[in-house]
Amino acid sequence: MKIIRKVFDGLKPHFEAGGRFKTFKAVYEALDNFFFAPSSRTPNAPHLRDPLDLKRYMSMVIVGLAPALLAALYLNGPRLLAMIIVSYMAGGAVEVAFAAIRKKEIHEGFLVTGLIFPMVLPGALPLWMVAVGVAFGVFVGKELFGGVGRNVFNPAIVARCFLALAYPRAMSGGYVAPGGPGRLLEWVGLDAVSGATPLGLAKQGAWMDVPLLDMFLGRIAGSAAETSTLAILIGGGFLLMTRVANWRTVAAVLGSAAVMALMLCDGLTEVAWQLCAGGLMFGAFFMATDPVTSAATGLGKVVYGVIIGVVVMLIRNFTGYVEGVMFAILLGNIVAPVIDEILYKVRFRRLQIEG
Amino acid sequence: MTLRGGYDVILAGRPDKTLSPMPDPDTLYLPRKTRRFHFTDVRVKDGNAVGQGDALATDPANFSVPLLAPRAGKVVYDPTAPYITLADLAKTPAQVQPADAAAPLPHVARAMGDGGRSRHRLLSLGAWEYFYDAYTAALPDPFGVCQAVIVSTVALEPFVARGDAQLGGKLLNFTRGLEHLQSLLEYQPIYLVMPDIHSPLATQVREQIRGNAWVKLVEIPPRYPFDSFSVLARHLGIRRSAGPVWCLRAEGVLAVDQALTGGRPCLTRIVAVGGPPVSSPRHYEVLPGHPLTDLAARLGLGSNVRLLDGGALTGQKAELSDKNGVDPACRGLTALTEQTDREFLGFVRPGADRRSYAACFLSTLRGRFSEKLTTGMRGEPRPCIGCNFCEEVCPAGILPYLIHKHLYADQIDEAAGARVDLCVECGLCSFVCPCKIELMQQFIDAKVVIAREKAEAEAAAAKAAAEEAARAAAVQESR
Repeated sequence: MKIIRKVFDGLKPHFEAGGRFKTFKAVYEALDNFFFAPSSRTPNAPHLRDPLDLKRYMSMVIVGLAPALLAALYLNGPRLLAMIIVSYMAGGAVEVAFAAIRKKEIHEGFLVTGLIFPMVLPGALPLWMVAVGVAFGVFVGKELFGGVGRNVFNPAIVARCFLALAYPRAMSGGYVAPGGPGRLLEWVGLDAVSGATPLGLAKQGAWMDVPLLDMFLGRIAGSAAETSTLAILIGGGFLLMTRVANWRTVAAVLGSAAVMALMLCDGLTEVAWQLCAGGLMFGAFFMATDPVTSAATGLGKVVYGVIIGVVVMLIRNFTGYVEGVMFAILLGNIVAPVIDEILYKVRFRRLQIEG
Repeated sequence: MTLRGGYDVILAGRPDKTLSPMPDPDTLYLPRKTRRFHFTDVRVKDGNAVGQGDALATDPANFSVPLLAPRAGKVVYDPTAPYITLADLAKTPAQVQPADAAAPLPHVARAMGDGGRSRHRLLSLGAWEYFYDAYTAALPDPFGVCQAVIVSTVALEPFVARGDAQLGGKLLNFTRGLEHLQSLLEYQPIYLVMPDIHSPLATQVREQIRGNAWVKLVEIPPRYPFDSFSVLARHLGIRRSAGPVWCLRAEGVLAVDQALTGGRPCLTRIVAVGGPPVSSPRHYEVLPGHPLTDLAARLGLGSNVRLLDGGALTGQKAELSDKNGVDPACRGLTALTEQTDREFLGFVRPGADRRSYAACFLSTLRGRFSEKLTTGMRGEPRPCIGCNFCEEVCPAGILPYLIHKHLYADQIDEAAGARVDLCVECGLCSFVCPCKIELMQQFIDAKVVIAREKAEAEAAAAKAAAEEAARAAAVQESR
C-alpha cells in the first residue's frame, strides 16, 4: 500500500501542468482516486456524508453481473474474457480521449458499460467487431450527449444495436452451443457454432424441443451471458436487495411480459419458457434498470417497464425478428423522459394543492 | 399530507439525558449577528456596567427582540467587532428580580390589554426568541394572531437538545407553560407533538393537562426530519395561506413559563454536546456567548475537530476562535473529526463499519449501530445519475434531482415551478447523494434568488401602478 502510494507520488509531477504526460492527467487522477479514496472534506452542510459513492454503486452492478459471467465462462469458454478485455480497451480509449479533450475526470459508468456489452453479444463474434461496437456505443450513445448522467440511451444497447444492423450475419450466426466443464479450457471460435437459438426454434413453432430446465440453467445457445436464468436471478436479486436496481422496473418488465405471454401463448409452461428465453431476464435486471436512461419517478418506472415488457412480446410474436429486448429497451429509453414529464406535471399539481 | 421520506443518521456520541451546568467563563462574547437575528440597535456604551437580564441590543428588523445580558458585568463594546463583550462577570447568578409590572408598555401591547402585557413580557424577557413560524422559520409577530400553535417535544437530528433531557423534573413547569400559551390564544388549537403518546412521560403530560381540550396530542414516528416544523404543519393540514403558525419546542414552553409565572428572563440555553470525538456527550446548561475555544477545551476536543453550531445535518460550521461565543439560539453543538487520510481501495471494502442508505455495505446485516462519521466527502463529485435516493428520503415530497437539473441549466423559473420553496432544508438529499452533489446548498441559494426576484418584480409592479395612478390623476386634473 505504501509502495503504491510512493509510485503515485513519484509519477505525479509528470501529469501536472508542464509535465510530459499532462494530456493524460485524467487517467492519473482516475487511477489515483481508484486506489486511494480522496480525502476531500465537506464544504457545506450537511457536514457528514453517506459512505456510498459512485465507485461503490457501480461495483455493486459488477458484483451483480458476476454470477452470469461465471455461468457464461462455464458454458461458453474463456473467449468471453478476451471479448471483455477488448471491450474495456477500445471503450476506455474513447472515454480517455474525451476526458482529455474536455479536461474532465473519467467517470465510473464505463466500468459497467464495458463489462455488460460483451456479455450481451454472441459468443463467437470476431474481436474487432467488439471493439468497433463498444467504441461506437460509447461515442454515440454516451459522449455525444455529454457523458455519464446525460445520455438518453443505454450505451451498451446502442452498441449492440449498431452491430446488429451493421453485421447482421455475424450477430445472428455467432451463437455458441453450450458445453460442459471442459469448456473452461476451450477456445470456441466461429468454426464451432450452433445456429439456432431457442427463440429461433420457437419462431418455427418448435419451442417444445428445448426443455424448460435447460432454459432455466442456461444449457442453450444464446448471447454470452444471457442464457442462464438462474445465475441472472442470483445476481439480479442481489442488485434489488442493495437498491442499486429498482424493483419497480424489474417487476414491471417481467410482470407485463408474463401477462402478454399468457395472452399470446398457451399454458403456463410456455409462459415460463418465454420469460427464460432470450435476453429478457438479463435486460430486465441489468439493462432496463440503468438509472440514467430509465424513467426517474416511481410510477414512471412502472410505465417504462410495462412498455418494455409488452414490446418484447409483441416483437417476438408478430414481427420477423426473433428477439426484441434490445429494441424494446431502446424504445423504453425514448419514451422514459416523456413519461417523466407527464408525471412531473401531476406531481406539481398535487404539491400546489397541498402546499 | 402523510409523512414520507426521512432517514436516521446514527452518529456515535449521542448525548445522554443528564443535564450538567457548564462552569461560567470569565468573559462572554455575545455575537451581534446570529443565525436568526442581527442586533444592530446597541443600547449600551463601552464601559457600562449592566445587570443580569438587561437588554444589550435589539434587532429592529425582528420586532426589537432583545439580546439580554446573561450575567451582570462590564460591557466592552467595539462597534467594528461582530460581538459585544461582557467582562468582569458576576461570579454567581444574581437573585432573580421579577420584572417590573409597572414598566411602560408600548402602544400595541397596551391596546391589547392583559394579553398584550403577557406578550410584551415574553418579548422583553427573551422568551419570544423560542417562537418560530412554521413555514418561514422567521420570528412571528408577537402582537399578531396565529392560526395554530405547534409544540414539539421531539428533536431527532443528531445532536440537538432533546425534549426528554429538558422535561426531566420540569413537567409541572411545562404544563403551566402550555396554559400560559393558551391564555395568549382565543380559540386556536395547540398541537403537542410527541414520539410516543403512550410513553410514561406522555401519560404524565396527559394527566396534567386533562380537561384542557385545546391541547391535541399528535404522535409522529421518530424518524428524522419529521420534527421539522414545516413538515409537521403540512402533516397536520395547516395551510400556509391561512396565517402564521407559531411553533416552539419544549425549551420554548419552559421559557414561556419562566417569563410569565416568575417574570424572570430566560438567560441560559440547554445545549446538547455530542459527536464521535466528544468523550462524555451530554446536555449542558450554557450561557450564550460562552467562548467556543473554552468550551472545546473543557470538552477535551483535539485540534483536528470541526465544531458545528446545530446538528450534524443542518448545523453550520462554528469557527473555533477565542472571540467566538455560543449563539444565543444554539440548541446543540456537534463535533466531527476532520478527514485527513486517504483510504486504500476504500470502495471495495466489505464495509461492516459503515452504514449507508442503500444497502451496499456489509453493515446491512448488522442492524442499527452508531457510526463514527468524519467530515470526509467519501467520494468524488459526479454528474447526477438519477438514482432517485434523494426523492425517496425527501420529507417535502419534491424532486431534488429535477430541481438540481433545472438549477444546473440556470432555469430558475422552472426550479420555482418545481416548488423548491417547499424544501425544508433537512440536508438528507445531500447526505444520501452518491454523486456528492451539494443539493441542499443549491436549493438554499436558489430560494434566496427566487425571493429576491419576486420582491423586485413586486416592487416594479407597485411602482408601475403608482405611476399609472399619478398619470390618471394628472389627466383628471387637466380636465
